[in-house]
Amino acid sequence: MNRFWSLLFLLVPIGGVATFVVAPYYNIWLPRDVSEQGHKIDSLFMFILWLTGIVFIGTQLVFVYFSWKYEAGTNKQPVKYSHGSHSLEVVWTILPAVTLLFIAIYQMDAWAEAKMRTPGLLPIVEVTGRQFNWDFRYPGPDGELYTRDDIVRTDGNLYLPVDEQVLLRITSADVLHSFFLPNMRLKQDVVPGMDQSMWFKAKQEGQFDIVCAELCGWGHYKMKGRVHFVTRADFDAQLETFRQEQNKVLADPPVVR
Amino acid sequence: MKLKQMMVSGMKSMLQRTGMNRYFIVVPYIVGMGLFLLLTGCEQSQPPEFRLNMVQMVSLETAPAYQQEIADVLGALFGTPDEPFAMPETGLDQSQLKLAAGPAWSGEEGSVYGLYRKHCVHCHGVTGDGRGPTARFLNPYPRDYRAGTYKFKSTYNATKPTDKDLYAVLYHGVPGTAMPSFALLPSSEIETLVEYVKYLSMRGQMETELINYVAEELGEEDGERIPFDPVSDQEQRGVIQEILAEIASDWGASAENVIQAEEAQLPQENRTAEEIAASVELGRALFYGNKANCLKCHGPTALGDGQRDDQDIWNKSNKKFQDDTALLLERVNENQGTSDLDAAGRERLATDVKVLAVRETVAARLYPVRNAIPRNLRKGIYRGGRRPLDIYRRVHAGIPGTPMPGSGPASLGAKGTLTDVEIWNVVDYVLSLPYEGPSQPQRALPVNAQNIAN
Repeated sequence: MNRFWSLLFLLVPIGGVATFVVAPYYNIWLPRDVSEQGHKIDSLFMFILWLTGIVFIGTQLVFVYFSWKYEAGTNKQPVKYSHGSHSLEVVWTILPAVTLLFIAIYQMDAWAEAKMRTPGLLPIVEVTGRQFNWDFRYPGPDGELYTRDDIVRTDGNLYLPVDEQVLLRITSADVLHSFFLPNMRLKQDVVPGMDQSMWFKAKQEGQFDIVCAELCGWGHYKMKGRVHFVTRADFDAQLETFRQEQNKVLADPPVVR
Repeated sequence: MKLKQMMVSGMKSMLQRTGMNRYFIVVPYIVGMGLFLLLTGCEQSQPPEFRLNMVQMVSLETAPAYQQEIADVLGALFGTPDEPFAMPETGLDQSQLKLAAGPAWSGEEGSVYGLYRKHCVHCHGVTGDGRGPTARFLNPYPRDYRAGTYKFKSTYNATKPTDKDLYAVLYHGVPGTAMPSFALLPSSEIETLVEYVKYLSMRGQMETELINYVAEELGEEDGERIPFDPVSDQEQRGVIQEILAEIASDWGASAENVIQAEEAQLPQENRTAEEIAASVELGRALFYGNKANCLKCHGPTALGDGQRDDQDIWNKSNKKFQDDTALLLERVNENQGTSDLDAAGRERLATDVKVLAVRETVAARLYPVRNAIPRNLRKGIYRGGRRPLDIYRRVHAGIPGTPMPGSGPASLGAKGTLTDVEIWNVVDYVLSLPYEGPSQPQRALPVNAQNIAN
């Protein structure tokens, strides 16, 4: 058991790599990507994961090797102190710097596409974060927000058309929130007093999570919603249902128990 | 000195003999962590308890012995937060209460327990008194269920909400407040929560009535305390049954108290822009007129800047308590300053000091009183829903617990301030307000303009 510590530390790279290998089989990997542009984010993620993964394994193996080789129980030689190597220090400073600079430049296009090249569309919905709910305001039949025919829903269900580029306007009624669509690979911080935008094209119909990704208060954990991607026809029909419901003047007949 | 050296070397040789020198850090560490987890992680916390309404108890000077007896009676009638119980008379579903109460956990095959503590408790509190840990930081404060008063409902002002009304509040949340929507929960879970909210309300109403009963009917007789003990006292048992029956029948009758708009007067779906504009004009005249007098509170600009110095019932009772405490403090200070008190005066001062001490501990725990600010009608945020039907109900029945009065008949067959047509005119006007330019000249001059402070 002389080399106990080096073997113990060997568990770190083994466990670390095993976690990533096993993760997809236990459904703790990335959520399903149903967006058109999400693969760019995912490929960036994978690129950085491989890069850091290889460096991680390499450095860990060096650690294990040294702790194995210079185990105190087997090495009787006294320790020698050295000032270090100047050229080695230059190398291990420049290499990471160049790598980081490369990543910074390499990701620029993905960033610009997700955050800067706003499409010239009218917002299909305004999303308002408030403690602790997401409220949705659709423009209504006239296509314009903040008019009398707006349709406002506060029940956390957001309907959007599939296979269509959509633009969302995102605001906050009180504090910082973050509108996060994991399946779209998009996340937008919401700052009170500022208009934020988010745009994407969903490729699959279905229901997906909306979550708040910025700790906004004690009820943060329940500030969630569901986005429904439906066909354009279904979307229009859904909005018409909402419109009629919102114009309701007659109560349902009472149910007397 | 020698002893210490002996001990150290003895320890070393013992460790070497047993081959433990390598592990003498690891082993205690693991044992220590285990002990730590055992002491902290597995410790059971105290089961939560329903809190007594101390504001009311202290206001009515309920003796501690009575407080305990009231708590016992309430416990017998309604159980505890972990083991709720509802008398069959209440009409509550015991199995649903069981799902809603207790600690939050998930059983086999998707059955979920402790829904109230999972979703509601951090604002509304274990007792449903609107005093959970978050409550202090919210504006408006979370609802205190114990009064059994609910703002957004389809029934006449003084009556209880229907299950459907409470369901709708949970489903849509309350826009403009910290109450979120629970639409993503299965409808059965929302219904379970509605049942539990009703349970907390009934328990709170029962508590209020019991405290009143004890204060009015019981007390000392010939120097001896009449105990509040319905187990042995037939008459007291009868009183409790009566109160319970009344509370239950109020709740049971809610569906019969739903306001029915006159169908003949309903605004038509296909009205032209001119017809709507005409209705808006009529509504505007009512808004500024003496009859509806909306501008008194909502202000001449409808920005909610009219009368703003009133409180809702929940804040009002706290305010009264704090004001009375302040008055008492003043009296005590005054009497303590005077040296020529007679015997009766000194006795009164002594009681005052005692009462003041109790009142001050209760008052210190109250939240700051907030005024009821009339709604800014130009923001387009409607807490009770934005359908014309919702606005109709708010104008018709008012908003219970707040200074907003109802303009329709107060009960079936009664006569209201406004007719159904007039209420619909006001609804049209209110719904047009967010889209009316703020600088648009005010066309109808307020009839009672002189009553409005500038």
